Amino acid sequence: MAAVADPDEELVRRVGQGDPAAIQAMVARKLPRMMALAQRMLGDAGEAEDVAQEAMMKAWKQAPRWTPGKAKFDTWLHRVALNLCYDRLRRRREISVETPPDRPDPGPAPDRGLLAAELGQRVDGALKALPERQREAIVLCHYQELGNIEAASLMGVSVEALESLLGRGRRALRAALADLAPGANPDAVGARG
Amino acid sequence: MNADRMRDLAEAWGGDLRRWPLTEREAAEQFVRTRPDEAGRALFAARQLDAALDAAPRPVVSVELRDRVIASAAAASLRSHPVWPGLRRLLWVGGAGWAAAACAGIAFGMSLTSDFERQVQLDVVLEQASVGGLDDEAVLG
Repeated sequence: MAAVADPDEELVRRVGQGDPAAIQAMVARKLPRMMALAQRMLGDAGEAEDVAQEAMMKAWKQAPRWTPGKAKFDTWLHRVALNLCYDRLRRRREISVETPPDRPDPGPAPDRGLLAAELGQRVDGALKALPERQREAIVLCHYQELGNIEAASLMGVSVEALESLLGRGRRALRAALADLAPGANPDAVGARG
Repeated sequence: MNADRMRDLAEAWGGDLRRWPLTEREAAEQFVRTRPDEAGRALFAARQLDAALDAAPRPVVSVELRDRVIASAAAASLRSHPVWPGLRRLLWVGGAGWAAAACAGIAFGMSLTSDFERQVQLDVVLEQASVGGLDDEAVLG
């Protein structure tokens, strides 16, 4: 099998040797990505912080024994954080059997003007309302900017199956945000570039 | 590539062709060049949704979280490690084994030697004693 080129290889090696500058660089490089992944998967900043911290803790333990060339460290770290997210989502499902969750806010009426923050909240709410696997596909491909092969591998599906999850997820999002489309409220989305 | 496939791909992978699978990208780029109107329609809706997705709040890392994570590196006992700690441990264990085997060999060898020497000395004494006895007999008659 061909060795995997990993842009983090040198940094991971230095972290494994306990280099303080490398540890800081690793935090700067990975913590925001793990925080973004967890918050978008869980929709809760507090839980996302816990997941991001736990994922980084596992990174510290893994770095000294990391074998370069087998996988990208970033992909491994995503796998760790996703597992932690799914543990929490599973626990939520178990709890929600007794207490049904609040329905997500359907959002403002189509004729209401949206400020940027409100638009962001609408999109966030629509993302949260997606089935987990569709949300995971969109988070990995759009927000985390992983390549399609890498994202599919992380999700344990083929690229074709990932395409299907993305298509369904994005269609659902577009339906949920239909009132923001041109005609309904052209300034809201257009202003985002 | 036809208009339907272009639309399906745009719906799934978004309006930025750089995010599309490599296997589809070349055909899509050619479609954009040769049929720009149809391609434009397919990509327009996808780009709108991309823009909406980008409007979602960007999660922020607090200073407290950053500090906790950096502190957790120390808690994880991250410090200078040899390049191959496993190999070094193996060599150490192997070396200790060899040293123990060598010590045992030396001790066994020494005990063999001393037993052998003791036997030789005893033989010499007995031989000298018997020779001495003969001499005495011969001399004394």
